[in-house]
Amino acid sequence: MQASVETTSQIARRVTVQVPAAEVDQAVAARLQDTAKNVRLNGFRQGRVPMAVVKQRYGRDVRNEVVGELMRQHYVTAITEQSLNPAGYPSIEPTVNESGKDLEFVATLEVYPEIELASIEGSEIERPVATVNDADIEQMIETLRKQNAAWEAVDRAAAEGDQVKVDFKGFLGDEPFEGGEAEGHELVLGSNSFIPGFEEQLAGVKANDETEIKVTFPEDYQAEHLAGQEATFQVKVHQVSAQKLPEVDAEFIKQFGVEDGDIEKFHGEVRKNMEREVQQAVDNRVKQQALEALKTANDIPVPTSLIEQETDGLKRQAAQQFGLGDDFDVSQLPNELFAEQAKSRVQVGLLLAEVIKVHEIDASDDEIKAKVEELAQQYQQPEEVIEYYLKDEKMKNQVKSAILEEKAVDKLLEQAQVKDVEMSYEQALQAAQQQQDGEEDSDDETASDKT
Amino acid sequence: MNQERLFKVLLGPHMTEKAAFAAENNQYVFKVASDATKPEIKKAVEALFDKKVDRVQVLNMKGKTKRTAHGVGMRKGYRKAYVTLAAGETLEDFSGAE
Repeated sequence: MQASVETTSQIARRVTVQVPAAEVDQAVAARLQDTAKNVRLNGFRQGRVPMAVVKQRYGRDVRNEVVGELMRQHYVTAITEQSLNPAGYPSIEPTVNESGKDLEFVATLEVYPEIELASIEGSEIERPVATVNDADIEQMIETLRKQNAAWEAVDRAAAEGDQVKVDFKGFLGDEPFEGGEAEGHELVLGSNSFIPGFEEQLAGVKANDETEIKVTFPEDYQAEHLAGQEATFQVKVHQVSAQKLPEVDAEFIKQFGVEDGDIEKFHGEVRKNMEREVQQAVDNRVKQQALEALKTANDIPVPTSLIEQETDGLKRQAAQQFGLGDDFDVSQLPNELFAEQAKSRVQVGLLLAEVIKVHEIDASDDEIKAKVEELAQQYQQPEEVIEYYLKDEKMKNQVKSAILEEKAVDKLLEQAQVKDVEMSYEQALQAAQQQQDGEEDSDDETASDKT
Repeated sequence: MNQERLFKVLLGPHMTEKAAFAAENNQYVFKVASDATKPEIKKAVEALFDKKVDRVQVLNMKGKTKRTAHGVGMRKGYRKAYVTLAAGETLEDFSGAE
């Protein structure tokens, strides 16, 4: 076998391979002998069909089949010999395919780019430093109270933020119109869930009041026959309720898992949660920047086949997010939407893999176990989760690549200049949020694909 | 014999184990029209395959009798010809004929 490689571009290769005629013909003959045993032909008993007849009938098919197999085989040997590292599948075309002549074929493929890792030294990375102070905790508790607020009937005029329970009936001129009527509707004033003007005019009503409200439907109202019309609503108020925030007492605290209702403990718990959240956000943000810096420092060409694979994956994810169901044909989604993102993900994945290789980063079993245990803490039965993870080779690998990635990012951070930036709790969370929306959703996956 | 008749004489190749063995002895087996004669067949083969024919042997194959619920039936028979080519002539691509 003879093979020669042409480099057509940075990552594209053309491999021309020649296979001696004798080898091909021998393989064809052997295959024909096999087929002859199983051929059923009218006029012949099975296995008694003469070779000449078999050859005449099946010769071409068998040859094509054999040639296809030979090409695949020799392609593999060829790339091993030439030590190419192909990304995705090659396209193989025979150029000479005749019996008695040497078989020749051309395989076009793309190889993984050879990466010479440029260090990201000098690039600046902002690390938000946020401390959770007492005010933040108070605010968080306030939010929690609001989420658990109850409505309590009060005997006073309704003000903004109050909830009123009303019957109403709407008229256009003197005619009642469809959909303009409800009984016992609960409406929060200031929630802007009604036509503009409606809620405002309800301010000041008391329980058992009856009043009339005149509003003009906005021009762009969704019901066309009402848009821009002036309408009168007869409203009967049943009840005015004020929002009653729950007291921060033992009862309230218990809801959040602090059994003995100790307020100090509750504060501690809230603080712990918030700190964890901030930590995660900060980690994410830093990682993001590190990867971004890495990508900017190393502009590597990306094999199209990898991009296609990634695009496919992204499409499927998107389809899932939109709830399109399993049988949705993802090829309907336009590639262009995802190509850019796919490319950057593949780049990051390749680069990270390279970082891992260069720095000889590895994860020991102990480290994997520790990580799994950490993950398992979030579940109800940690032991079962741990067992599940450690038993399943695939899950274990996932965990491993996550660890590798973490370590790789740490290595990157050692190179870069990390600048601490003071931020409040809110800002830190927001900053991390923004970046996440913009760029990535999970490059854990990209990295694990490649390692 | 006119040209038209030539194309009507040979109905097709007859490929069986026996015919395959016969082919080794330069004899090729055809199904032929039931009223075809030896000289006709000889001429037809010589014209269509462009080979010299030594001699022709013919026989009538009787159809098998088949019994069904509706009584006894006969399958169609056919006329078969063993065509011996002159020494040195061979017919390749035999099963592809007409």
